[in-house]
Amino acid sequence: MNLAAAARFAARWYSVPLVLAVWEMLARTGAISKRLMPSLVEIATATWAALENGDLQFHAGISLGRAFGGYALAVVFGVLLGVAMARSRAFDALFEPIFSFGYPVPKIALYPIFIFVFGLGSLSKVMMIFLECLYPITVNAFYGMRAVDRVHVWAARNMGASERQVFWRVLLPGAAPSIFAGLRVALPISLIVVIITEMIGESRGLGYYISYASASFEYATAFAGVAAVAVMGFTLDRVLVWLRNRLIFWERGAAFIGGA
Amino acid sequence: MNAAASYSRGRRVALGLALPLAALAAWEISARIGDVPSYLIAPSAILATTWEMALSGELWRHTGQSLLRALGGYAIGGAAGIAMGLLAGIARPVERFYDPIVSLTYPVPKIVVLPILIAWLGAGDASKIAVVTAAVFYPTFINSLYGAKGVNRLYVWSARNMGARPLAVFLKVILPAALPQVLTGLRIGLALAFIVTVAAEMQNSRGGLGFLVITAEDSLRFDLMYAAIVAAGVIGFAGDRLLVALRRRALAGQSVGKEGANA
Repeated sequence: MNLAAAARFAARWYSVPLVLAVWEMLARTGAISKRLMPSLVEIATATWAALENGDLQFHAGISLGRAFGGYALAVVFGVLLGVAMARSRAFDALFEPIFSFGYPVPKIALYPIFIFVFGLGSLSKVMMIFLECLYPITVNAFYGMRAVDRVHVWAARNMGASERQVFWRVLLPGAAPSIFAGLRVALPISLIVVIITEMIGESRGLGYYISYASASFEYATAFAGVAAVAVMGFTLDRVLVWLRNRLIFWERGAAFIGGA
Repeated sequence: MNAAASYSRGRRVALGLALPLAALAAWEISARIGDVPSYLIAPSAILATTWEMALSGELWRHTGQSLLRALGGYAIGGAAGIAMGLLAGIARPVERFYDPIVSLTYPVPKIVVLPILIAWLGAGDASKIAVVTAAVFYPTFINSLYGAKGVNRLYVWSARNMGARPLAVFLKVILPAALPQVLTGLRIGLALAFIVTVAAEMQNSRGGLGFLVITAEDSLRFDLMYAAIVAAGVIGFAGDRLLVALRRRALAGQSVGKEGANA
């Protein structure tokens, strides 16, 4: 890396080390109780210890599995339902009110009922994630299909495309950016729901790990768990953006932060 | 493909009510006949309990607590998000400062720090307001930033050309042009504020609707649990409708037809 590139890199990223330095200073000088705000070194040590005895990988694996299960279900059903609602009047009339009325309602309040129906284990969490993620994915798939330029559809028909070709070649690619926007909104939701449900009542998963560590006053360990969730959230988001840019190569977009 | 629009209004309403009504009827009937688990109590009984609790004032107390936390965090997080977002949208150094931090922490669920916030601030209102503030900040910040950045340069140039001072350019050109997207951010933030409040109260608190849901479930008072769930749904829905109405008023003079997709 030459000097100019290094300078540009520093100008782009300087604020992250700055914030970390302020944190370290606050922790070291004891402006905030050291027990409540452990220094970065202590957090790194705790993270290393949790990685070495395998705790972090174990709980992260469980949380990831649940989040992925619910998310995958929501992707399959959400996209299908959104497409069906955009294509069929009956589907639209049947489901549109459920989605527009239910959207702003905090569905997490239903979790206790989910526990009764699906049990205390993974299934109730997976179903809760499915329900919360279903809304943004369905709504975005629906609007995406609806917003496809009609001129494109007419042009394809005019050139003799069959209905099936119009769907696969025109409608679906046209709706893809919007579908991916929904997927990107739903991703952090899946993590929120898995963490919060594990905090409420569970003995496995990162949500449990974090709340257990802070309840036993081991704040450095709790921060290790927070760091693990942060890495998961950031990595999954990057993967999704990468996938989007590969699949929707014809459209530049998905700026670095949530511009989509 | 837009054939859906040709359904008559009456037919649409009837079809739209069909699924929810069928589910409610099936629920009511099976609860009455009685061959269902005890947590599935009849919708009519839920309504009766909700009404009773509303009259006794207990529901209002918990609703008030939840509202205080949700709206308190919403006000702080939203104000900070809009102020910082607009500032970052017009001032490059501010954007440079925030961009890496926000892009690194944006996909991280803010609720993870709740147990730590509870250790810092106690299990009362402060820790919940803090976590709601963090959750609301991100969507309002990002939308305000893009709203301010997306303002047509020509408008800014022509205002300057006609001798407008920087403050006037900001107030009369940039702010109105960014407003639709700022309001979109506020709408996403409001939904998040209610979700995070209820979730945080379920995790650890001594009051509020989330707390009521969990304690009622623990003591097998399912009617109470449903009443709390209904109340949480009602405030979430009512808050959103209120914001949409405000948005329509605020944007009355503008020809911006963008609504929905990002709801």
